[in-house]
Amino acid sequence: MMADDLDELMVLVKICVKECMMYCSEWLVASGEWMTNNPSAVVSRWRAQLQVQCPRTDLMTYLSRNKLFSFIRRLSTVQNELTRETLQRSTQLTTNRLEDVGLSKDERKSVLEDCTEDISHVATYLKPTFNFAAYVNKSETLQQLVMLNVNLSLLEKNKEAVPYVLGLNFEKDVKNHVVWLSELGIDNIGWFLTKNPFIFRESLENLLVRINYMKSKNFSDSMITAIISRNPTWLMFSTQQIDERLGFFQIEFCLTGRQVRALAVQQPKLITYSKHRVKINIFAFKEEMGLNSDEVKSVLLKKPNLFMKNQIGLLKTFEYVHKDMGIPIERIVDMPEVLFCRLFRLKQRHLFLKSLGRAMYDAKKPNYVSLRTLVSGSDVNFCDNVAKSSIQTFNAFLKTL
Amino acid sequence: MGMKVLTDSAETVWKSLNGLLCVYKPADVSCNNVCKTIAYKITSELNHMNCRQPIDYVSIEGDPSKHLTVIRRPNLADHPLVVGERYHPDDVRCTWSSFLGFNTSGVLLLGLQNGTKTAFYIRMSKLMRAYRIKGKLGRATDNFYKDGKVVEKTTYKFIKRHHLDGLLASMQSAHQKKMFELCGVELQSQTAYDLAIQGPIRPADSKIPVIYGIKCVHFDSPDFIIEVHCINEYETYLKTLIHEIGIKLRSTANCTGIQCIRHSYFDLDKALLRKHWTLQSIVTNLEQCSNVINEHQNLIRQDSVTLQ
Repeated sequence: MMADDLDELMVLVKICVKECMMYCSEWLVASGEWMTNNPSAVVSRWRAQLQVQCPRTDLMTYLSRNKLFSFIRRLSTVQNELTRETLQRSTQLTTNRLEDVGLSKDERKSVLEDCTEDISHVATYLKPTFNFAAYVNKSETLQQLVMLNVNLSLLEKNKEAVPYVLGLNFEKDVKNHVVWLSELGIDNIGWFLTKNPFIFRESLENLLVRINYMKSKNFSDSMITAIISRNPTWLMFSTQQIDERLGFFQIEFCLTGRQVRALAVQQPKLITYSKHRVKINIFAFKEEMGLNSDEVKSVLLKKPNLFMKNQIGLLKTFEYVHKDMGIPIERIVDMPEVLFCRLFRLKQRHLFLKSLGRAMYDAKKPNYVSLRTLVSGSDVNFCDNVAKSSIQTFNAFLKTL
Repeated sequence: MGMKVLTDSAETVWKSLNGLLCVYKPADVSCNNVCKTIAYKITSELNHMNCRQPIDYVSIEGDPSKHLTVIRRPNLADHPLVVGERYHPDDVRCTWSSFLGFNTSGVLLLGLQNGTKTAFYIRMSKLMRAYRIKGKLGRATDNFYKDGKVVEKTTYKFIKRHHLDGLLASMQSAHQKKMFELCGVELQSQTAYDLAIQGPIRPADSKIPVIYGIKCVHFDSPDFIIEVHCINEYETYLKTLIHEIGIKLRSTANCTGIQCIRHSYFDLDKALLRKHWTLQSIVTNLEQCSNVINEHQNLIRQDSVTLQ
């Protein structure tokens, strides 16, 4: 019951913070006070603040009538122990109770007497902060994460991740997962955890079940390592979800089991990518570009990343290659990497070749330029090998565009 | 030729990154985007150089009633993994001296760090810019540019080079007359005469576009290219110019490309191409531009109404 109350109150605080972003800092300060002092007093102060400052009157009335009254009554029963424990978990600080310091309530001395006890480690809680840096020198977990090469500065951009990571305990929550992941063969644990700090939410049994599922689908150990280390979010998906995703690609593109496995290894992110976006790109390939099913399948197996690209950019590149450069669809399907090339780069090189009279993309005619060599290599290589010209001429040409 | 970055210390390079930068802005990229890209390029390269080490964390530990020890250990709160890389693109101040529109390509002057002041002075001194504008006869679009919706189609075979030349000459003379009107002096007065003998003059108002020279440099019907020397122009103005030319020629025309080829003393040779936006080239370019400014002090401090 008590824990429920606390959770519910935290939800309420979250709503308040979300709704009144202007008063965010005040709320946070208040929450610090609430932990230490009498909760009901603070909550009633919030209510007063709400009434004075909250621009959303409907929210205010809703809170005051329905929630806050009952909370004040119920909170008075919540013990201070519980609140302190919650705070310790959330800030990772060693807070000192009176008993730990060596003082008990009974033997309180007069303030006029000399103080002989060591009270230097009695300190206030850390104030609200914008980043991990304020906590890192005091938090064991954060220090260990830095040693694992986790980039905390990137992590803190995810608002959800910050309170979650601060609440972790290295020995209890983190250690076993890290050991398990490194036993799985993942080298870059730091990068992995930067991308997906929420892996600690999944229990090791769950993760093992997901790995066993992949083994049951004939993924070899090296394949599993390759997939997990390149797509840190893969393990967050349940076996049902992964099964459904693999099934989606198998049915949509009529793939064999071997091809599905090869696809998952070649681009593991595609499997867990937003299905909606993939469907939009399938539509772009089939309806807007006019590829048939077999062609779409061959594009998928050659360059699965194309299905994660933005549809509009993809179409622009395709239109330029197909209409302006006059390359038939069959050739584009043969070399789908041309669709990866940034449009301005493609334009620059094509127009330069055109100005030299070398824009010949038909393999049966002399001076043929392969699409692959057109889009690959540095500008110097392009000028030497494809355009048979000098880089200075190319640079001068670029300044006329 | 230019200055070469010899040091390996990011701090030294960072402190030297002040001044004016002359870049080649590609078409279909906004000025804002160019600034951001350059700031990103600079900081990412600086972060790969020798950056500042984390400072020490000093803590005093022990029992205060007995013995205290001072302990220094590396400060994790200053570690790049915790506070982020040493140089962040937001730290770079970068702004343009004269705005170029989205579809315009060509010479763009950017002020970097303390050079943003120089960029501001250059904007205030209203320097002349030269544009090469491509047009195509036969079609009018709703936004006067090639990507707009076609609203009218006309014949254009009857238009010859001399038609265009004649029209442009009359436009130029009309603008030169306007130049004196904008000065606020009576045309038939001694003051106007005194101004006129000084040569072309710059407008006091920074809003009204003035064209000093306009000529056709290429005519291959239906495509043509005109070169315009002007002050206070903006992208839409140049597009409508092509549209007007089309109408005056008893046909229609739309703009197919705008390129700024010169901004006072800064021409295409000095402009950095997009692929050359690297720390080394930027430092070299900053030095070249500062040489130009030192040679021509009138770039940042104008004390005469005449055009230089």
